[in-house]
Amino acid sequence: MLRFLASRLFRAALTIAMVVTFAFIVLRLSGDPAQIIMGADAPPEAVVAFRAAWGLDDPLWQQYFRYFAAILNGDLGRSMRDGRDAIDLVAERIPATLALTIPALFIKLALGIPAGVVAALHRNSFIDRAVMALAVAGFTVPSFVLGLLLVLVFAVQLGWLPSGGQESWRHAILPVITLGVGGAAVLARFTRSAMLEVLGQSYIRTASAKGVPWGAVVRNHALPNAAIPTVTIVGFMVGSLIAGAVVVESVFSWPGVGRLLVVAVANRDLAVVQCILLLVAATMVVSNLVVDLLYGVLDPRLRAAPQGAH
Amino acid sequence: MISRRPLLALPTLLAAPALAQSDTRPSITIAVQKISNTNTLEPLREQSNVGERVFYSSLWEGLIGRDWLGDLSARPGLATEWRRISDSVLELKLRPGVRFHNGDEMTAEDVAFSFGRVRMFGNTPATAQGRTIPVGEGIPTPRPGKELPPEVPAIARRAFPALERVEVVDRLTVRFHNATPDVTLEGRLSRYGADVVSRRGYEEAATWLDWARKPITTGPYKVVDYRADAVLTLVAHDDYWGGRPPVRQIRFVEVPEVASRINGLLSGDYTFACDIPPDQIASIERNRAFEVQGGTILNHRLTVFDKNHAVLRDPRVRRAFTHAIDRQAIVDALWAGRTEVPKGLQWPFYGDMLIQDWTVPRFDLAEARRLLREANYRGEPIPYRLLNNYYTNQTATAQVLTEMWRAAGLNVQIEMKENWAQVLERTPSRAVRDWSNSAAFNDPVSSLVNQHGPNGQQQQVGEWTNEEMNRLSVELETSTDRERRKAVFRRLLEICEREDPAYTVLHQNATFTAKRRDTRWKASPAFAMDFRPGNFGS
Repeated sequence: MLRFLASRLFRAALTIAMVVTFAFIVLRLSGDPAQIIMGADAPPEAVVAFRAAWGLDDPLWQQYFRYFAAILNGDLGRSMRDGRDAIDLVAERIPATLALTIPALFIKLALGIPAGVVAALHRNSFIDRAVMALAVAGFTVPSFVLGLLLVLVFAVQLGWLPSGGQESWRHAILPVITLGVGGAAVLARFTRSAMLEVLGQSYIRTASAKGVPWGAVVRNHALPNAAIPTVTIVGFMVGSLIAGAVVVESVFSWPGVGRLLVVAVANRDLAVVQCILLLVAATMVVSNLVVDLLYGVLDPRLRAAPQGAH
Repeated sequence: MISRRPLLALPTLLAAPALAQSDTRPSITIAVQKISNTNTLEPLREQSNVGERVFYSSLWEGLIGRDWLGDLSARPGLATEWRRISDSVLELKLRPGVRFHNGDEMTAEDVAFSFGRVRMFGNTPATAQGRTIPVGEGIPTPRPGKELPPEVPAIARRAFPALERVEVVDRLTVRFHNATPDVTLEGRLSRYGADVVSRRGYEEAATWLDWARKPITTGPYKVVDYRADAVLTLVAHDDYWGGRPPVRQIRFVEVPEVASRINGLLSGDYTFACDIPPDQIASIERNRAFEVQGGTILNHRLTVFDKNHAVLRDPRVRRAFTHAIDRQAIVDALWAGRTEVPKGLQWPFYGDMLIQDWTVPRFDLAEARRLLREANYRGEPIPYRLLNNYYTNQTATAQVLTEMWRAAGLNVQIEMKENWAQVLERTPSRAVRDWSNSAAFNDPVSSLVNQHGPNGQQQQVGEWTNEEMNRLSVELETSTDRERRKAVFRRLLEICEREDPAYTVLHQNATFTAKRRDTRWKASPAFAMDFRPGNFGS
C-alpha cells in the first residue's frame, strides 16, 4: 500500500512540475506582463521600471529557476498587479467557488445517477428517450447560453432571482443550477451506458434465473458493478471543484477562483496562475487517488490484483 | 460595577439608528466591466479609462478641477484662484474649510506632500529636455512596506517632468516651482493624477497598498470596502466642501459580460450599466423605461504606422492609407452615428490652441491610388496587428478598414494578437496597429507631444521619428509665446498627419451608460461619473 501511495505521489509531483513548467513557458513567451499590466498608454519609462522591479528583464531561464526554487521553499510568489501574496489572493476566492461547485456537485449526483439508472432500466422506452434527450440537451447547451437563458427568465422576466453578484444565498441559485445541469447530463449518459453494459452480463441473467427479485438484482449486482465508470467521472468532477466554474463565474459576476484565473491569465500574472494550477493539480491528484482506492472497495477483484495491474 | 462612560455615550448610541433611518438618500449600484486594472485606487498607479470612472469626481479631487458636466474646461477645485508669479512659478490659493475623509482640514502642507517625493516622485530626478535638475530636497527612505511601486514615480515624472518643488507660502497658499517655463502648468494641475491626499492619512497607513486601496481624499464619497475584481463600495462624505452628496452609498460592481450588465439593469439589480457597446443601444432603448446616455470623450481612435517597415518607409504609402478611409461610414455603421470625426488629433477644449480649420485627410480613393502609383507600390502584404476588441468595435473597424484600403490597392493583412506586448514586438513585420490618444489636459502637449513626441511611446518603441517634430515638440513644451505655440502646433499636425504620417485619426471615442429614464442623472463627456450635489435625483 505504501509503495502504491509513494508511486502515485511521485507521479503526481512529476505531473505538477510539468504543468508548472508548461504554464511558465506559455505565459512568458506569449506576452510581456509589464506591458500588459501597465496598459497601452503607460509611459515607456514606467514599463521599464516595472520590468526591472519584477525581474522580468532577467534571462528567461533565470526567471524560471528562481520561480521553481521559490516554489520548493513554499513561496508561491506575489501578484504583479498589486504585490499581494498569490496564495492569499487564491485562498480568499476558494470559498466563493466552492459555494457554487459543491452544491452543483450534489445536483449532478442527485439528478444524473438516478436519471441514468432509470433510463437504462427502461431501455428504448419513452422514458429512456426522454431522459436521454434531456441529457443530450443539458450536455450540448453551453453553460454561458444556459446561464443567460436562466437570467432572462428568472431575473429579467419573472424577477424572482438576482441576475448576478454574490450578496446572498439567492445569488447562488442560478449559477448552481447552470453548473449542475450540464454535469448531471454527463453523469446520466455515463451511468446509463455503464448500467446497460452490466445488465447484459451473464451474472445478471443468472441472478434473475435463480429467482432473485429484480430490485435486489439491480441493487446488489448491477449498481455496484456499474459504479466504477461513474466513480471515475465523479472523481474528475471533484477534481475540478476549485476551478471548474470559470465560465459560469463570468456570466454571473461571481468573484471566485475562475474569474481570478481569467484575469490572471489575461494579465500574464504568472504567480497567481501558477498558484491556481498547483491547487487544481493537487486537487485532481488527490481526487484520482481516492478514486483508485474506491475501485478496490467497489470491486474485490481489483483489491486482490497486484497494484498497477488495472 | 457600572461605569459612567457607557451611559454618557448612550444618547449618541440611541441617536445613531435614528440618524441612519432619517438618511433617505438612495443607494445605487453601478455595473462596470472593470473597476481597476491594478487593484488599486491610486491614479498614479491605475492609468486607465476605467479608473477615471471610479475616481472622478466621486473620490479624487485636484487643485484645479474640471467642468465635468460641460466642456471639461478648467474650474476652481481645491484651489479657488491662481496666478502666475513668473513663466515657471504658479501660485494657488487653497479653498478654506475643505475636510478630508478623516476629518482633517486640508492645508498647504497636504498639497506639498501630495506633490512630493514620498508620495509621487520617489528618487527620480526632475528633468527638462534631458537636463537633470538638481533639487535641494533630500530623498527620504521610506519605511518597509511604504516603498512606492517603481512605476508610480515614472508616471508622476511623465506628468510633471520639470516640477522642482511645491513651496508652502502660508497655511492656504502654495507655489509650484517648475524648472523651465511652462504655460501648461495650470493644465497639468487639472489632469488625472494631480490630486491632493491627506498627509496624515498616507502616513498612518501600514503599507502603500493599504493606502492605495483606501486613500484618504477630499472627494464627496469615501471608500468603505474594496474587494479587488469584485466590488468597490463608497459612502457619502457628509463634510464635503461642495455640499451634502445626494447618494448615500455607491457600489461599483464588476460584471465582465455585456449581456449580464444589461440583464442586471433590466431586472433592477443595477442602477447603471456602463460600457454599453453601440450595437446594444437600440435594443435597450426599445424598452421605453430605459435610456442610454453618454457620447464622445477626450480620446481619439488612431491607426498607427511603423515607418521602418519596408513598404511604409515611403511616406506616400502611409498617406495613401490616410486618404483611403471613409471615416464617416465607420461612424455611421459601427457607432450608430453617436460619435464624430474630429479635426485631427485635437479637441475643442484646447480653447485658443484649437486649429479650427484643420481636418483629417479627406476620403479620396483616387488620391490614394495616385500616391501608391508614385510610390511604386506593387501589392506587397502589409501586416496589421490587431487585438480582439480591446477598443470598442475594434475588430469590426479593422475589417472595414482593410476592405477600404483594399479598394485603394493596399494589401493589408490582419494578424490577430493577444496582448499589447505582442502588438508592440519589434520585428520587421510590424507595420500597422491600432491605438488611441487622450488629452490629459487642455493643451496639445498632453496628446500629440506626449504620445508621438521624442519621449512618447511611438518613438520609444522605435516605430516612428522625425527630427523636425522632435525639435518643435521641445518648443511647444517650453515656449510662452502663445501665437508661436499655435503656429508650432499647426506645423506638428502637418508633419504627423500629412507629410510623414505617424498615425491617422479615425474617429472620436465614445462611452455609453444605460439607466432607467426616471433616474435623474446626466452623463459627463468622459468616463468619469459625476455624483456630486446637483447631478442626481431631484
